Amino acid sequence: MKKLKITFLSILAVSSLSFAEDIINSKFVKSDIPLDPLNSIWKQAKEVEISLAGQAVTTPSDLKPSVEKIKVKSINNGSEIAFLLIWDDKTKDVYRVNNKFSDAVAVQIPYHADPSTPITMGEPGKGVLILHWQAFRQENIERGYADLPKIEPNYAVDWYPHAQSPYNYPEDWHNQYALNYIGGEKNYLKNTISSPVREIVAEGFGSTTWKSIQSAEGKGIYKDGKWYVEIKRRFFTGNTVNPEWGPGKVTYVTFAVWDGSNMERDSRKSLGYTWIKLNIEGK
Amino acid sequence: MAKVFNWQLNREVEYPYESHKVKKQFAVVMNLNKCIDCQTCTVACKTTWTPGRGQEYMLWNNVETKPHGFYPIGWDVHLMEKLEEQNVQQIWENGQYKGKTIIEAAPEGERVLGWMPDDLDWINPNIGEDETSEPVDIGTIIEHFPNPIWMFYLPRICNHCSYPACLAACPRKAIYKREEDGIVLIDAERCEGYQECVKACPYKKSMFNQVVGISQKCIGCFPKVEQGLQPQCVTTCIGRIRLMGFINPPNEVVQDNPIDYLVHIKKVALPLYPQTGLQPNVYYIPPITVPLNYLRQMFGPGADHAVEVYKRMREGNEPELQALLHLFGSTQFIPHKFKVDGNYVIGYDEKGNELVRVPIVEPVQFRPMHDERYDVVRQDIT
Repeated sequence: MKKLKITFLSILAVSSLSFAEDIINSKFVKSDIPLDPLNSIWKQAKEVEISLAGQAVTTPSDLKPSVEKIKVKSINNGSEIAFLLIWDDKTKDVYRVNNKFSDAVAVQIPYHADPSTPITMGEPGKGVLILHWQAFRQENIERGYADLPKIEPNYAVDWYPHAQSPYNYPEDWHNQYALNYIGGEKNYLKNTISSPVREIVAEGFGSTTWKSIQSAEGKGIYKDGKWYVEIKRRFFTGNTVNPEWGPGKVTYVTFAVWDGSNMERDSRKSLGYTWIKLNIEGK
Repeated sequence: MAKVFNWQLNREVEYPYESHKVKKQFAVVMNLNKCIDCQTCTVACKTTWTPGRGQEYMLWNNVETKPHGFYPIGWDVHLMEKLEEQNVQQIWENGQYKGKTIIEAAPEGERVLGWMPDDLDWINPNIGEDETSEPVDIGTIIEHFPNPIWMFYLPRICNHCSYPACLAACPRKAIYKREEDGIVLIDAERCEGYQECVKACPYKKSMFNQVVGISQKCIGCFPKVEQGLQPQCVTTCIGRIRLMGFINPPNEVVQDNPIDYLVHIKKVALPLYPQTGLQPNVYYIPPITVPLNYLRQMFGPGADHAVEVYKRMREGNEPELQALLHLFGSTQFIPHKFKVDGNYVIGYDEKGNELVRVPIVEPVQFRPMHDERYDVVRQDIT
């Protein structure tokens, strides 16, 4: 535990020195924002490189993180804001199976544009919004759901009591009999959202909860040992609480990256330990 | 890190959360001398709880042959290896465990000393079935032909530990222990499938549903328990080796509670690998045909006494214990109390109503081998 504290303190010291002056400028563009991380529109935005360190505040920790920096760009068109996130990753991990985990990246925004919000996923009364892109979700959407025949092609199954052959999942989950075995309707909805980005809210470690209204979009491309991921969201989504942000406003962001092949998931991640100022252009 | 008292280790142990007393604690006693590896419990559990998509490989209840059978492969070997890697000395002195538990021995940055089974570790649930080990000098299953050998069957469910490692490890606090009966459950809606519980549970009784993306585990048949019924694996056991009930801590022992009687009073039923420090609540009557050093490793230092008591019982010197063993598998309802009345052992529910009355020695009637009326030979003469 003592060692852990020292690690944490040294991370804080390093992080406050290196990122203190970093500002991400969200470039105003007049056009629609395409969902394409390699689109030429991104040339308009200035890139900021942010150092990341392994999560060592809470357990389980990531004492040997594999991603140490992330490059970030941002653009907005007055109604939507998008982030382009680029990092090195030797392997493309798109799994969510036994003992294998998915690559992922997240943007964290405080609900109140207040840098005193704990960077460690907020605290009660100082919540954060997290836009979490996960590679396995995109794989499920683009290449068909990772159902049993895809995960375990040689597995022999005789029969299920709650579904008729041929078994089409996740569609066949949506009857009460089947839902009983998978933990109910919520899991069905989580597995069938049409976006690889999930929106979650948090007020401290271990408190992340899915938002009932999901509106963020995303697209990741793995190319030449790098992930290029775009995460896009409307500033203001109806019928839900939105962060204090918008054109002409200033707020704060931070980022986290997970490398699946390094067994990274949950709090085993690389993250930025200070808030980066996000200057949103436009009126 | 909080300090909680673990009566099985007879000392305080470290645990991430404070101890919250449960109203009742689910417990099962399994008599390993009688298990025949028929897997009826496994099938009963499978058809009840895990016939769903992504649950194909899951056996919340399994029966494995010891010492060479495992599900998943080498779960107990890995546990021993991990403790050794952390230089944990598994030493007991005067009934107190002096070594570290898997929570106390957690490496830096971890909550529990765990290991993650690989996908392939789960695919041979009956590996090593009926494989035997070396001769022993205390009497064996097959004593004269062809060689003296030993092995035994170990049925396993979730231990519904008092201090669960899965609960300690979950970063989302998605696992909880029910106050009303001490059953440990995963909240399927909070679980995000990070598999920390799979890694942490030393008994490997938390399993990942790869299709749904959540971890799932034995639920102690809580819908049955809530109605005063024993779990599926208990009531379907054709060998009548199991009894489910509620256990009290050793300072609140109830003399006529069947579980308390077996665990605390007769000390004939022992926890599985108590050195994990989790205070598991499935208790085993150890097999008497197995080397004691193996039993001590698996069930702690109480193994010698338990074997001795069971042998004494077989010789007719423990009539009350012998009577209580007749209650196993004799009712689908949970017996909270028992009483021996002459030739009968009687089970009672929570309110004291009689559940079942089982004869200890059943009356035997003999009929002549020759049936005079039909002039045939009878096959059933008793």
